[in-house]
Amino acid sequence: MQARSIFTKALFDQKMQILGFGLTLAVIAAMDVYIWPSYRDTLQNFEIPPAFEALLGGDLNLATAPGFLSAEFYSWIPILLLVYAVIQGTGAIAGEESGGTMDLVLAQPVTRRSFVLQRIAATILASVLIIAIGYTGWLVSVPFVDIDVTLWDVFLANVNLLPITLLFFALSLAAGAIAPTRGMAVAVTVGIATATFFMQTLAATVDVLEPLRYLSPFYYYGNGQPLVDGLNWAHVALLTGISCGLAIVAVRTFEERDVSVGGASDLTLAAMLRRTFATRTGT
Amino acid sequence: MTAAIELRGVVKHYGETRALGGIDLTVDAGRIFGFLGPNGAGKTTAIRILLDLIRPDEGSAFVMGFNCQRESVQVRKRVGYLAGDLRLYEGMRGNEFLNYIDSFRPEKKDATYRDALCERLGLDPTKRIRALSKGNRQKLGVVQALMHRPEVLILDEPTSGLDPLVQDEVVRLLEEAVSEGRTVFFSSHVLPEVERISQSVAFIRQGELIAVEDVAALKSRNVHVLEVTFSAPPPPSLFALPGLKELHRDGSTVRVQAQDGVDAVIKACATQTVIDLRTEQPSLEDVFLAYYTGDGPTGAHDERREARRASA
Repeated sequence: MQARSIFTKALFDQKMQILGFGLTLAVIAAMDVYIWPSYRDTLQNFEIPPAFEALLGGDLNLATAPGFLSAEFYSWIPILLLVYAVIQGTGAIAGEESGGTMDLVLAQPVTRRSFVLQRIAATILASVLIIAIGYTGWLVSVPFVDIDVTLWDVFLANVNLLPITLLFFALSLAAGAIAPTRGMAVAVTVGIATATFFMQTLAATVDVLEPLRYLSPFYYYGNGQPLVDGLNWAHVALLTGISCGLAIVAVRTFEERDVSVGGASDLTLAAMLRRTFATRTGT
Repeated sequence: MTAAIELRGVVKHYGETRALGGIDLTVDAGRIFGFLGPNGAGKTTAIRILLDLIRPDEGSAFVMGFNCQRESVQVRKRVGYLAGDLRLYEGMRGNEFLNYIDSFRPEKKDATYRDALCERLGLDPTKRIRALSKGNRQKLGVVQALMHRPEVLILDEPTSGLDPLVQDEVVRLLEEAVSEGRTVFFSSHVLPEVERISQSVAFIRQGELIAVEDVAALKSRNVHVLEVTFSAPPPPSLFALPGLKELHRDGSTVRVQAQDGVDAVIKACATQTVIDLRTEQPSLEDVFLAYYTGDGPTGAHDERREARRASA
């Protein structure tokens, strides 16, 4: 296999990630389905504290198969996909600059916009592939286990993983276009993701914080329970719209600014510490 | 003659630092043009502006008549570029990398020429880039810049890290490109290299263009360096001569550079008893340094020369 364009190179470069994340999703899904029968009876008479329930993704009835799978799988899988999204999002612009290879590519007759759009297209396709490989875990388990979900329910719930993955990809892409280093872009994205994840779960338990949940992408992800509530197309559209907005910010920012060469930025941590130190000692 | 590269009043700042302070430069098509200056003088900044990797704060740049900012894709279609700080994709093989770069200009792909370039530079393109030495990476960088026979070659320190034999081969390749009517614009901080390769040379220092000269004309300039020892303090009339520059003075021994021949200098010296007189054929370096005002670099250069003499 050889890279014939920015798009194909970006895709080939992440083939191990596609396989790795995809198979991880598949294995966890199959495990959850196969352990379901043995859990079912135990959970039927089990009272879960409401706060704990909220942390698992809202008002779930863990004694039902959709509730169990939502808590055990769909409520936290976006965090796993977030890792992938941040690797790709910060890698596309900030990573290529930190590595110093951006000069090489952008010295070719290609626009910066085309460069970023091809990287976005590659990640969309790769995300679809990861989720599709993950779906095989359901295909090899659901038909063979006495469980009250259909492959179609699970298919829709898997489709629902895509918008939130791409949202964090777009966020980290924009962060990578704005922040001077990849490290800073990773820190910003992971910070926002962690904050909004806990904002969503805390807002579900603490009434005063309730309005805050609407600020969290995890709320629009469907509270972690698309298997219970079904796919909300309005929420899918909203997350996709925000992703498009962030992608436009990323392209525009990158088109306007100077391309940095690896480590050339004076906004490195070392330089910032130096400046801080110099100010404090008055030198 | 059309201009292959043109910079008009280009100013660039990095925060508080002024990297380029209003550069005007024209490079004629079909020439080898050396861009000379010490490290940090602004050579790379000017080159990256030509490729639209960075944007000037003021002024504009053109390559083959295309505006480097507004028509950057047209510019880059015509340019082969070698970065000064060359970074490659570590996981790729040389061939895979070259195929990737070729994919941006499929119509200009020429596998025969590409293989010939690798062979002439002694590069094995089947190896993984991770396993290549600094010199071999640089060869790969040279090949990717040359392989599509661009109209304009913009090379930032092209011979850096290459051993002398390979450097010679690179020079031959550049000369071939120019013989085909293409233009070579390369930067260097090594003066003898520029002197040997280029037809014209621009000297840049602290973001200012000090001079643009024809190398042949420069070499033919009647510049001499003289060291004269007098029996008493040197005659003041000597230093009043036009075109004379004092490089060093130690008691009654002076070291001067004469830009307009030696006749007037000899006559001025002869007004006093001369104990010793030595002259040197100046290198391009000396000729260039004649442009300097008598501060740091000239002194440093002089000290280097002193050190060389002492060790000889």
